Amino acid sequence: MPEKNIDFGKFGASGIKGSEAVARQLDRLAAHIATPVTARRGLMARLHYLTTSDRAWQAAKDAGLTVSDRTLKAWMQGTRRPSKANLERIDAAYRAVRRRNVARHLTARLNREGRGTRVEIHPIDQSGVARQLQRVVEHRTMNVRRWDKIVGSWAAGDHQGLDDAWTADVLPDLGSQWGQYEYVKNIGFAA
Amino acid sequence: MSDFDAIDSLLDAVGPQAELPPCQVRRELRERARLSKAQVARALGVSPSTLSGWENGRDPAGEVRTKYAYLLDGLNAKLTTETETTTAEPAEERSAASGTAAAAVASMSSTKHGQDEDEVELLAVPEPCVLCGRPARQRVAGFAQHLDPSGCQAAPAQTPKSSPTAPSARAQVPRTARPPRPAVGKDTVPRGRAFQEPSGPADLIHEVVHAVLAEHQGDVEAASAVLLKRAIPDAMRLLDETRKGARYDVIAHPWIPDILKKQTSRGADQIWEARPKWTRPELPPGQHEVTALDINGAYLSALKTHLPLGQLEHSTGFAHDRRRAGVHLITPPAWEHDAVLPNPIGQRDEPGPLWVTEPTLRLLLRLSGPKHRLCGPPEIHESYTSGATENLLEKFRIALKDARDSALADGDGLTLEYVKAMYSKFVSTMGESNYNRELYRPDWMHIIRSQAFANLWMKALKAHDAGLPVVRAMGTDELHVIGDWRRVFPEGRSVTEVKVKDTYTAASDTEASTGQEQ
Repeated sequence: MPEKNIDFGKFGASGIKGSEAVARQLDRLAAHIATPVTARRGLMARLHYLTTSDRAWQAAKDAGLTVSDRTLKAWMQGTRRPSKANLERIDAAYRAVRRRNVARHLTARLNREGRGTRVEIHPIDQSGVARQLQRVVEHRTMNVRRWDKIVGSWAAGDHQGLDDAWTADVLPDLGSQWGQYEYVKNIGFAA
Repeated sequence: MSDFDAIDSLLDAVGPQAELPPCQVRRELRERARLSKAQVARALGVSPSTLSGWENGRDPAGEVRTKYAYLLDGLNAKLTTETETTTAEPAEERSAASGTAAAAVASMSSTKHGQDEDEVELLAVPEPCVLCGRPARQRVAGFAQHLDPSGCQAAPAQTPKSSPTAPSARAQVPRTARPPRPAVGKDTVPRGRAFQEPSGPADLIHEVVHAVLAEHQGDVEAASAVLLKRAIPDAMRLLDETRKGARYDVIAHPWIPDILKKQTSRGADQIWEARPKWTRPELPPGQHEVTALDINGAYLSALKTHLPLGQLEHSTGFAHDRRRAGVHLITPPAWEHDAVLPNPIGQRDEPGPLWVTEPTLRLLLRLSGPKHRLCGPPEIHESYTSGATENLLEKFRIALKDARDSALADGDGLTLEYVKAMYSKFVSTMGESNYNRELYRPDWMHIIRSQAFANLWMKALKAHDAGLPVVRAMGTDELHVIGDWRRVFPEGRSVTEVKVKDTYTAASDTEASTGQEQ
């Protein structure tokens, strides 16, 4: 697609990929456990979430948390602390499971029976760009009606799929200038 | 053949031109049909200014003249039948409406004050006057109104001519009716504009209350529970309603700098809201009657504040820009009046720079200005600001205030509670709250709260300047003063007035004040 940016940031603009901003907002809406996994409270909350049912534990295993039941019991009782690598694995597994669990509900909320959700797109930060190279890029809003693919690939942790769903399917609805919004400062929507 | 066709059509075109009514009548017809110039011009395919010309002495020609004549003819026919069915006009009215002369009616006895050019209709059934909303018996150019200025400004004592429909007509008076302007000449009629329905966001509130009350068969308690539950979504709907056709969009999810983000799940962000929590260290000698005053609707009034519109942008070392608003890192000036007045930045224990919001900064700048000279100017280190407006929530605030006022007047506790829940929950959940995800503006939340505190502070200053010793300033709405406060603050329940919370006596030597309710 010719509108895509080839060398973003060459002149000092700063921003993130639109799809990444969408993923962040979805993460915020999914309301993860706020306490970090390094704190005992956060760790226990995540472990409890992952062991509420056999299905959840299976999903955690699928998400890459392969520890024996004995280790898990030791962690839960506090006799052993997970290693740093395992803490990261727990957090990653928690995120994956949580995303998978909320995906269906979130999709329904965002689709709103076909009415869709209003999305605000805040343009890139041009404060680092030389004055004569700065361009007027406005704040835009659009209504996104189909969220299935976006939320689906977010829940599956498929960055490329999310980027394709966002950049190829949604963004071109902004009109001929959609390339200016491939990278953004923030994307906001409510669910 | 085609050549001859063209000639034929040319020949057809040369003929008697369509008859048009005089300019005055053209305009009147359009205005009585409540059509704007733009609407008519669009239909005819000309510009609105051309249409203005036609209504002011010029004449269209050619094909568009035929169209215009057709339109006027149609309007004429329509309006004639309407007046016949609704108001049983006198016979001369019909002859006037048939497009030959409007001047025939101008000879009616009631024309005064140079309104001779306007067509005055006498209404059999009084309609609300466009200026004052009271029943009027005359109609000029489609607008029911009083021709006599004294009739328009009529006080309640001066009742209009008794007619059976008068009370119902008064009930329909729009609550936001403007103060009546004296009817001088043509200015009584808003001429250049199409008729507009008075916008009624306040009605939205009443409708909701009535609907809920009806749903629960008049059970006030159940209705109240339901209304409190839906206060936040309803406030958002009211906000959307009041922002229709507005200049600025409400930007609900901007990028938020880290200082405005909560550090931990339960923690606070770095903004200092300057909440006052001050008690006078030493009372003046003797026994005193202290009155605890309560500021009505403090957060509702605080909705009028400079709110940043868009995304906050960082800047350092600049002087304050009045057209922008946001949060600022400042070093507050020293405060030497702690014995009589609270510190405008609140009860801050830590020294050094702090992040304050726009209202606090403006308060400090105002106090350091030539009028007050109570402290030095604050030193601004860095700011996150955006272009600001005071009017963003203004219609929203007015709608809520009107609903509140009418609820107070009617003694309608349910609506009062609902309105209060709407504005207080709107303010408290507009930041990072899971109860309201439609709006993610922690900056606004802090700014509105600070504005409430700054308003309270200015009230304390007002009392102090009027010679009333201020004893305590607490939270958003609590002010304790000694002396005759009624000459400074009006008493009542409206937002510009204060109400008494408590009265107690306090002596200078004893710390403990005895709470004797009166």
